[in-house]
Amino acid sequence: MLWYKAWLETRSRFLTCLATLTLFSGIFVHHAQGLIRPEWKSDFNRLLFVNQQFLVIMWVLSVVLLGMGGIVREKAIGTSSVTLALPVSRARLLRVRFGMGALEAIVLGVVPWLAVFVVASFARKPILITQVASYVLLLVAGGLVYFAMAVLVSSLVSGEYTAPALAFGIVLLAAMLFDAWLRQFNLWRLVTGDFSIDRSTYLLSEHLPWMGILSSLSVAVLMLLASTIVVQRREF
Amino acid sequence: MTNEAVILTQALTKSYGHAEAVRGLSLSVGRNRITAFLGRNGAGKSTTIKMLLGMIRPTAGSGTVLGKQIANTGENREVRQRVAYVAEDKPLYGYMTVEQTIRFFSSFYPDWRRDVERKLLHDYELPLQRKVKMLSKGMRTKLALLLAFARRPDLLILDEPSEGLDPVGIEYLLQVLVALSADGVSIFFSSHQIAEVERVADHVCILEKGRLLVDASLDQLRQFYRRIDLVFPFSPPEGEFRISGVERIQTSGHQMSVFASRNAEAVIERARDLNVVSVEIAPVGLRDIFLETVKEN
Repeated sequence: MLWYKAWLETRSRFLTCLATLTLFSGIFVHHAQGLIRPEWKSDFNRLLFVNQQFLVIMWVLSVVLLGMGGIVREKAIGTSSVTLALPVSRARLLRVRFGMGALEAIVLGVVPWLAVFVVASFARKPILITQVASYVLLLVAGGLVYFAMAVLVSSLVSGEYTAPALAFGIVLLAAMLFDAWLRQFNLWRLVTGDFSIDRSTYLLSEHLPWMGILSSLSVAVLMLLASTIVVQRREF
Repeated sequence: MTNEAVILTQALTKSYGHAEAVRGLSLSVGRNRITAFLGRNGAGKSTTIKMLLGMIRPTAGSGTVLGKQIANTGENREVRQRVAYVAEDKPLYGYMTVEQTIRFFSSFYPDWRRDVERKLLHDYELPLQRKVKMLSKGMRTKLALLLAFARRPDLLILDEPSEGLDPVGIEYLLQVLVALSADGVSIFFSSHQIAEVERVADHVCILEKGRLLVDASLDQLRQFYRRIDLVFPFSPPEGEFRISGVERIQTSGHQMSVFASRNAEAVIERARDLNVVSVEIAPVGLRDIFLETVKEN
């Protein structure tokens, strides 16, 4: 039932984000013919790449919002005493919350791209399911660290506006700093597919940046562990 | 006593910086009793309860609830399986309906009593489909009490349980508490409503500024606490009456009022030695005991 609670807490945010991302992707791909420029060689593939750029922005915003909440926020609104009186450990509370958020983040990555695939297929556009799968993999596996960061921030900061503001600030700052000095480690470019795209065909390489993805997932796990330690040590 | 105690603390202390919320609290709450935990706002009652439930860690000292160490995370989780707790402001998840709330909480307790749930739903007239955030404070209190009572707990910890209830609801609550106690449930509750405490409690603990000042059965309190009003032919010397058991002395002209937690006979004896003109001894109610105790400290 903790999963049920986590679902009830996040469902409105999740469904709103899902509808926004899916509608945006579907409509963008359907109506983007006008955006295609004559000089583009692989026009539709390039359109898909552009779609991923927009999708990443919206997806990261969505998962940061989904990462908000939790027991620290509950303390601020007064319900932490009910949750902490339940016969479950704080680590389990956090794991369930993380699990539900991660599932929602995956759905937020998969469904909009499925919509793109369906729309493109109906419009008889050349779209490869392997390309869609690669975009989703980069987005979700590479980007889950953004969600983990939001969970960590929400374990440290309880303010309704402070926590998301801080999380969005970290996303922006990290993207800028890495782009300026450590471009090859810039997570944003990894997730958007910038490191994997072939600039002539605008197809993602078959050799995805697995090291980058695994490193990103490892950092996400470390952030989850850090959040668990913070929540276990914290007093309510 | 140790084996019979459902709550046992030894020099339990909680400090926030230089401020001590609870100071060296040594408390023993007996099994199958209704124990009232009294104190002014900020006396440390809620902090003590939160330490017992593992929500905050003691700065010093130790404690057990149902024989399990409160500072041990694993043992504390076992405690929470057997303890029902109703928090001060009756916080519940506003986004759940009454039905969802009951379904959610009942899933954690295998001994959940559907019969009690049904009875209280009926008696409290709780609307199943209404969101908790739309309930009145009284309704929310009733729902919180239902969740605690239907769990078949070994120990019930209630923080201001009657807050928000109307007189009918309070009466019903007191009856349920007595019935649960008769069924073998130990009850530990904090309250500002001394008249209610006096009606149901077997034992009373009074906390003031984090220190335990009174820990006695209600019968003992009634038996030993006395107010002695004395009139002398002269201004009486207070020092003569500062003996063990005398909590407070008030003098006005030839009159003296002595508040004693015990040794009332010794006070009267001294008064007679000083040629007292008039002696009036009156038993003291819990309200006066509480007020005098906290005033003195």
